[in-house]
Amino acid sequence: MAAPDELFCWEGDWGLPSVSTDCLVVLAYAQFAGAPLKLRKMSNPWRSPSGLLPTLRINQKETLTRPSDIIIHLRKQKYNADYDLSAKEGADSLAFISLLEEKLKPALIYTFWVEPKNYVDVTRRWYADHMPFPLNFFLPGRMQRGQLEKLRLLRGDESLESGEELEKELYRDATECLNLLSQRLGSHKFFFGDSPSSLDAFVFGHLAPVLRSKLPNGKLQQHLKSLDNLSNFCSNILLLYFPRDGRESCGQKTSSPASQPDGGDFDHVPNKRRKQLLSAIVALGAMLSYALLTGMVSIQQEALEEPPDRETVVGSHGEDEDG
Amino acid sequence: MSLAAEAFVSQMAAAEPWPESATLYQPLKEDQILLSDCASSLAVQTYLRMCGLPVQVVCRANAEYMSPSGKIPFIHVGNQVVSELGPIVQFTKAKGNSLSDGLEDVQRAEMKAYMELVNNMLLTAELYIQWCDDATAAEISRPRYSSPYSWPLSNILAYQKQWEVRRKMNAVGWGGKTLEQVYEDVSQCCQALSQRLGTQPYFFNKQPTELDALVFGHLFTILTTRLTSTELAERIKSYSNLLSFCRRIEQTYFEDKSS
Repeated sequence: MAAPDELFCWEGDWGLPSVSTDCLVVLAYAQFAGAPLKLRKMSNPWRSPSGLLPTLRINQKETLTRPSDIIIHLRKQKYNADYDLSAKEGADSLAFISLLEEKLKPALIYTFWVEPKNYVDVTRRWYADHMPFPLNFFLPGRMQRGQLEKLRLLRGDESLESGEELEKELYRDATECLNLLSQRLGSHKFFFGDSPSSLDAFVFGHLAPVLRSKLPNGKLQQHLKSLDNLSNFCSNILLLYFPRDGRESCGQKTSSPASQPDGGDFDHVPNKRRKQLLSAIVALGAMLSYALLTGMVSIQQEALEEPPDRETVVGSHGEDEDG
Repeated sequence: MSLAAEAFVSQMAAAEPWPESATLYQPLKEDQILLSDCASSLAVQTYLRMCGLPVQVVCRANAEYMSPSGKIPFIHVGNQVVSELGPIVQFTKAKGNSLSDGLEDVQRAEMKAYMELVNNMLLTAELYIQWCDDATAAEISRPRYSSPYSWPLSNILAYQKQWEVRRKMNAVGWGGKTLEQVYEDVSQCCQALSQRLGTQPYFFNKQPTELDALVFGHLFTILTTRLTSTELAERIKSYSNLLSFCRRIEQTYFEDKSS
């Protein structure tokens, strides 16, 4: 392997290395296994070679996008975080990863993409703020439609109203799943022994966004916070494996823009100015072309051109009169 | 099932004993039912037998449309209708029949996790092979699925179902998989189940639980169903403890009743 593989993923916020669950899973696994990946954090999925995030590019050509595929690839490269697990522990990881995907994932999709307040105030705002100019108008909406479709197919339901019934049902499954995870974790530091494995990466990726994002409707977050061992588990991994992102979030809170040029919101001020300027130019252009097309400007032109005409007419009259 | 209805059901369930007239509905056994539905139905039947609850199996061509969730199988007990293994387990629990009460918290967590493993990998693999493998879909799934209906409705319904399953596969990220990868996933799942089972008679030692019923339902159905290729069954046959596990449950819960 000549060049290190490149990992494209969503950039981070809220003190997390990335905002997307799938990206977090891959990032955490790579950290646990010590895989030397060339990390490219971005907020424009169209700049990723596959159009999706996360994407692992191997040897400049082949791309992988599913977290499990990426983990299998890393494992083949001898970056294996599950090396110390017994066969039975490996079986348990597989089972608990399935539990996460069947029971928690639908509730996560609901919390971030369907619950109207959360979607409008947090998810859509975050993506719209971070995406470059023309994409921010339609990509968040398109992502939401994709997630809605996914939730509908996962549940096998024809109709999917974001009513209280659906919410209660999904949250009941999710809280049960969280309780089961909490029981399994007990007072251990990681799920299996003293070193983290792929299951830890999956659990961290699914729970960290719930724990750290500031959602207006935070029922799931409240429940997770009440399970001390699970929330400590997430903070621990953040502290041990992503110390830079944790510090950035602290820097954000104490707000020192000069010392933290890359941290959180301050990163996007120049971007915002550029966007403001761009939108002002676009608005001005639109106004001008409207004026031109409806003839407002041409009237002005006539008004400017006519007076000399009149003058000449008047002048000729004058000459006539004179004459 | 809606939440209010569920609360009502569990309340009603506690009050009434299990009636003799309980029925389980599934599609026609000989010419209609597909591998995945047959597996789910067998899992529920096994679970009820393990609980010692009598149920009469009734085959209906329109079972899928009768089911409240659109999924096979469903049971009709007294004046209540419950579909799928998970809710049925809840329902019997409310009636005072539970197989997993003796487990510790961690064991119960593991049991739930392994049940989701079966749903997530085995069931999805069955659906993939039925509807996304072109040979199986054309030779077995579409003709069988649409057997009760006459042309053109049969074609419309079969293709509609196939389209829906394919979209689901895309949503869960299985759309890009090859058949070989799916078999590999089945092997991985069986490997995990085999490891977990070890030399115990049941997954949690002496007492059977709903996990045993679910695993038996799927493995036994795969082993005894003829598909276009025997690859799927072959994958399971390489785990001898799973095979003897299936034989044990078959002998304990199915054979002595018929003899």
